[in-house]
Order: sequence, then C-alpha cells, then structure tokens
Amino acid sequence: MSRYLGSSTLNTYYSDFVRTFGNVLFAVSLFVVWGLLTLIGVIVDQGKDPGIYFDSYPAPIARAILRLRFDNIYHSPWYVGIIGLILLSLTVCTFKRVIPARMPPLRPVKIDKIPLHASLEVAGDERTVRERVEGFFRARGWQLRKREFDGTEWTFADKHNWARRGVLVAHIGFVIIAAGTTLYWARGFSGETAVVTGQSVEIPQTKAILHLDDFAYKITPVLTKGGMVYQPTDYVSHVTVTGNDGVPKAMTVRVNHPIDVDGTLYYQASYGFAMRFTITHDGKNVPALSDRVLLEGENFDVPGTRLTISYDRFVPTVDRASGMPSADPRVNDPAVILSVSNGGQQAGTAIVPLRSWVDLGGGWRLVPSRYLLYSGFQYRYDPGIPLVGIGALVLVAGLLISFYFLPARLYARVDPAPGGLWTVGLAATTVKGYDMFESQFQGLISEFSSEYAVKAP
Amino acid sequence: MNGHLQADELLMIVAIACYVFGALALFAYFFSREAWLRNLGIPLAVVGCVAQFAQLGVRWELTGIWPLLNLYGSLSLFAAMSVAIFIGMAWRYNAWYAGGFVLALAGIALAYGVTWNEGTMPAVPSLQSYWAKVHVPIVVSSYAAFLVAFVFSVIYLIKYYAEARVAATVSTVELAGTGGMTMRVHGDTPALATAAANGNPLALWLQTLPSLAQLDVIVYRAVAIGLPLISIGIITGAAWAKEAWGAYWQWDPKETAALATWIVYLAYMHLHTRNNWRGLRTNWVSVIGFAVVIFTYLGVNIWISGLHSYKM
Ligand code: HEM
Repeated sequence: MSRYLGSSTLNTYYSDFVRTFGNVLFAVSLFVVWGLLTLIGVIVDQGKDPGIYFDSYPAPIARAILRLRFDNIYHSPWYVGIIGLILLSLTVCTFKRVIPARMPPLRPVKIDKIPLHASLEVAGDERTVRERVEGFFRARGWQLRKREFDGTEWTFADKHNWARRGVLVAHIGFVIIAAGTTLYWARGFSGETAVVTGQSVEIPQTKAILHLDDFAYKITPVLTKGGMVYQPTDYVSHVTVTGNDGVPKAMTVRVNHPIDVDGTLYYQASYGFAMRFTITHDGKNVPALSDRVLLEGENFDVPGTRLTISYDRFVPTVDRASGMPSADPRVNDPAVILSVSNGGQQAGTAIVPLRSWVDLGGGWRLVPSRYLLYSGFQYRYDPGIPLVGIGALVLVAGLLISFYFLPARLYARVDPAPGGLWTVGLAATTVKGYDMFESQFQGLISEFSSEYAVKAP
Repeated sequence: MNGHLQADELLMIVAIACYVFGALALFAYFFSREAWLRNLGIPLAVVGCVAQFAQLGVRWELTGIWPLLNLYGSLSLFAAMSVAIFIGMAWRYNAWYAGGFVLALAGIALAYGVTWNEGTMPAVPSLQSYWAKVHVPIVVSSYAAFLVAFVFSVIYLIKYYAEARVAATVSTVELAGTGGMTMRVHGDTPALATAAANGNPLALWLQTLPSLAQLDVIVYRAVAIGLPLISIGIITGAAWAKEAWGAYWQWDPKETAALATWIVYLAYMHLHTRNNWRGLRTNWVSVIGFAVVIFTYLGVNIWISGLHSYKM
C-alpha cells in the first residue's frame, strides 16, 4: 500500500515537473529572471574589491551585493542555475510541446470551428471536383497528402512543412552554445602576464616561454573642438616564443592580431613602464636593490629600516610649471610617482623626475634611473570555441527558418451539396495562429472561387 | 577640402529638414488621412534617408575613417536605418500612417547624434578591425528594426485603449445584432464598428487604422527583422572580441546589455506563440524591449564604463 502511494506521489511530482517545465510561460519567466540578473551585472560593477562597493553604495546595499554574489554575478550559483533551468525547460518543452504542437499528425478537423475557413460550391462529378482542388493547390507549391477517416476522404495541403523544425534548430543551437561554454569551464584556461623588454616569462599552464624583444606604441595628437586629444593608434610587441617543439620563433602581437602558440592565443592587452631604481646607502650602490626592475604598483622594503617604497605610476610628461603630470602620454619629460610608508603607515607620496635623487633618511638615497617598457599579454586556451561558433550559426539558421517560413496546413473535404453540386470545405492553420496567414488565405480562396466556384462563400 | 566639408554638413541639414517636415506631414496624415499629406511625407522620408546615407559616405570618403566608430556616426546610421526599414515595411503593408512617429524619432536620434560630433579622430587600436565594418552596422540595424517595432506597438496600444473607450459607449443591445461579424479574424471588433456606424468620431478615426491583429503582425515582422540581426550582431561582436581582447565573451557591460535586449525579444517571440498573449501583452513587451534597447545603446555608453569605452 505504502509502496503504491510512494510511486503515485512520485508520478504526481513527475507530472507536475513536466507540466511546469514544459510550459512556455514558465520558460519566459526564466528568461525574465535571466534578463534581470544580466542587467544587474551591467549596472553593478563586476569583480571589484569589496571596499569599492562600500564606497559606491550605502552599506546595507553593498553588503547585499556581496552576500548575493552580485559582484561576480555571471559566475554566481544564481546565474549558472538559471541557465541550467532554461536548458532543462528547453529539453522538457521539446518533447512535451514543440514536437506535438509544431508537428501535429494529419487528422480531421471541424472546418467551421477554425477561424480561417471557407466553403465553396463547385459543379461536376466528385472525382473532377477533387482533382480540381488538388490541382489548384499543387500548382501553387503545396505538398498534398490524402487520408481517409471514417469513410471520409481528407486532403491535407502543407506549405513549408520542413520549416516546422525551425524551432528545434534554434533550440539545438542554444544547447550547442551552452555545451561549448561548458567545455571552456571544464578544460580551458586563461591568464595574464607582463614581460619587460629584454626579459622572458614562462606561462604556467603551457610552459611556453615568451621573450619580449621590443614593445612600441604610437600616439597621435589630434586637435578636436574640445582641445588636444592624444589618441593611441598602435600597440605592437615583438616577441620570441618557444612552444612545445622547443624552437624559438619571432612573432608580432598587435591589438586585434593575436598569435597562436600550440592552440593557446596570446593577445596584446596593456603596456606600462618598468623602472630600475639606483639605491645607495652612504654613497655606495646596493646591487640587491638596484638590479631589480619594478612594474607599476610593485614595491620594496629598505633593509634595516621600516620603510617600504612603492612605485605607483610612471608619468610620461611632467608639466614643469605645476610640477604635476600633464595629459600628454608621450614620453617627453618623465617622472615617477612614489609613495613611502613607514611601518605600514602611509608617510607620503612624491613625484620624482627621472635621474633626480630622493633622500630617504639614514643615509639611503634613491634615483629612478632608467625606464623599460613592458608589455601586458592575455592568453587563453578555449577548446569550446568551434562548438560555440557552430551553435551560433545553427541558432541563427533556426531563427531565420522560424521567422521567415510560415508552415501552414490546409484541410480540405468535399461533400455532396443540393443541386448536384459539391461543397468544398477549406480551413487553414499555421504554427503562429491565424492572423499571420489571413490575407494569404483570403487570396487563395478568392482565386479558387473565381476559377471554379459556382457560389462564392 | 572645405567644399567637401560643406557637402557633408549640407547633407546633414537636408536630412534633418526632411525628417522634421516629413514627420509633420505624416503626423497630419495619421490624424486626417488626407492622401496629399502622405504623398508629401513619403518623398521627404526617402530623401532624408538617402541624404543620410550619402552623408555617411561623404564623411568616410573625406576622412578615410570608417564613420561609425563614435556615437555621432552610429546614431546617424541608426536614424537612417530606422527610416529605411520603415520605408520597406510601410511600402509592403501600406503603413505610412506610422511615418510621423518614425521620422520624429529618427530626427531626434540624429540631432542628438550631432551633439556628439567631436570632429575626426583616428581609431584606437582595438577599433582598427574589419569586424568594425560588419558588427556595428548590424547591431545598429537591429536597434533600428526594434524602433520600428516599437512605433507600431505604440500605435497598437493607442488603438487598443481607444477602442476600449469607444466600446464603453456602445450598449449591449446594439452589440447583440452584430453576431455575424465576429467570424472575421482581422477586422475591427463589433463594438468599434457599431460605434463608427453611430458616427462616433473617435471610432471613425480608429477605423482608418488597420485592425489590431494586422498591427500585431506588423510588429511581429519588425521584431523578426531585429532579432536575427541582434543575434548576428552579438555573434560578430563576440568574434571581434575574441580577436581584440582574447575572449569572445567578457561580460563587458555593453555586450551584456545587448544580451539582455536579446533575451527580452526572445521572450517576445515565445509569448507571441501563445494565443492569449499575442496582442496586448506582447506589444507591451515590445515597448519594454525598446526601453532596454535605448539603455543598451545610450545608457551603457553614458553611465557605465567598460571595455567598450575602447581604452584598450
Ligand atoms: C534560450 C534559447 C531559446 C531560443 C533561442 C529559442 C528560440 C525559439 C524560436 C525562434 C521559436 C519560434 C518562435 C516563432 O516561430 O514565432 C521558439 C519557439 C518555442 N520555444 Fe524556444 N527558444 C529558446 C528557449 C526555449 C525554452 C527554454 C523553452 C522551454 C519551455 C522554449 C520553448 C519553446 C516552444 C514550446 C516554442 C514553440 C511554441 C509553439 O509553437 O507553440 N524555448 N523558440
């Protein structure tokens, strides 16, 4: 008894599940949630430090953003979950709705219950009348099929019957895209790296070695209505890359022109100015510190003191009048912005022209002596790309089929009418309701009746 | 050189003037149905649209720079494509009555675009790609199709609510005698027909518009232009992003907002398959969709910074 109850409860759950997930309105509700989550991610800055949210929003909202993972929404359980639910609903819908609704079997209908219908009276014997009906539709490219139901012969005429599968094609396209993105999550990787001119780095995931021979950028000053604008117009890295085959190869990376090394793509992503500082103590060079090259944002501790010097930013051109950075990004009169902290406490910042010295106290001196360009690369291995590409094409093909080919079905039956005439009953259905097809239907009916009908509808 | 620049500005003035006068003529036609107003409005719409495409061509020729990389150029194309798509649909469905709305919106988009004219600038490296020539026009054209859908949805909603108001003036006794008319799928409701027969001026005017069902089909057709276009736009954008930034999808605000737009129109299409949603509710979805388009197109550029601000 209890086992029987158990399985019937299970059946109820199952049919509830199928009913819910097979409902287009449920799918649309999922779309609405998907759309809203997507928009939240547009409005709330993504992937920032928690502090930034507290700076930009009142504390309770900032807390909510962090707790709900809206700071990284596209990788949150909500986002992944909603896409999972959409895929689930898509699968259920395909079997419970799309196939039954879009590909109905041939069966008789009540002609005058269908909004698009007409009956016309045609003279002649039954066979001629049937042949006329069939010939009329065949001549207009309709595909004809005949079936008998309870002794009555029905003629079914289909237009664009193949296009009934357009929805399935669109849906499969979406599934293929989802599979492609999952493949990246499962097997792909990406990262960033910066290489100083003349140096090399090893990419951890691929063990490829990237040597930066040279980096160059071009900046074009443009005089606009709003004043001088310095427009960057080219970034180019000349690199020597050693991949799996161990043979170093010279290559050029530009924005929009990545290079492919053993299937991993490397992109020009950023650039900056690395700095060599000459550091002396009591007039003597300290090689351990002076030989280091710092990227913007890096720092070092001064031995024997509680000082930390941070190289914040490179200033290509200092405005000599104000002593402040100018807008010109070309290197004319460079300086560095340094900040000093003492025992973890910020002690001050300074803008220091290249090759001038700063006294740090206790006999320590620092000179920003030489800058070196570095180039920032992004790299990415994404085995899902071909699938995503194919899925996208399939999706678009499905959309075009669904929107531009309207599958329509005509139902025709011929019945005897008084006066030796025959009544031809015609009704039409389409996969998109009746409005879409009404003018065409009326066109067909008036053509038919002007050719054959004794009495117009 | 200067002579060319004047040609460029002259074409812009021609376009704006055509849109302003064309909008006036077609708005007047919308209300009055005087054929001469339509016959005046159509050439103005066509000339304005042609002038705009010529203007974009002249600018490209003149500067050697693809003109669609800033808001000025892209809004110009948006206006031109909206009018072009409208002309195509109006021609096919005899729907010139909607021209006043389309030309007015195109004129506003164009005038607003002109305020973003910063003169000529060479493109930053990430924009120096042939994808710019493919992706931008496609996305902008999809937005233009959604504008046209929006306009017809607005007309649908005007007719829907005005019809409800007219229906309230018709007694049930009068309606009882009109049973046979409900068989028509297209065509107006019996209440509207009865009110018009009674000489109700609003009802008579509403009858000059296509039936709600026909208006709904026009909206569907416009969305059916826009949705494949925005899909292709997102795909070409992804292909470009893969080339420029390393990943075909970076959750950058602009591409993400485009995804949200896509989702809204996908919802429209699914709702449109439902008999009881097709009509009033799907037309509201089309109106909401266009609000999301505007947010994606302008709101994101203005309020939210991302990779698409092209800083490299
Ligand atoms: C997310 C990606 C999806 C895409 C790109 C997509 C695309 C489409 C397209 C193009 C149509 C044809 C519309 C028309 O002919 O007017 C359609 C219809 C349909 N879709 Fe989807 N769809 C998606 C998701 C879903 C989901 C999650 C469901 C699950 C319920 C679903 C259920 C349906 C059904 C049942 C129809 C046909 C309705 C009918 O003929 O009555 N779709 N879809």
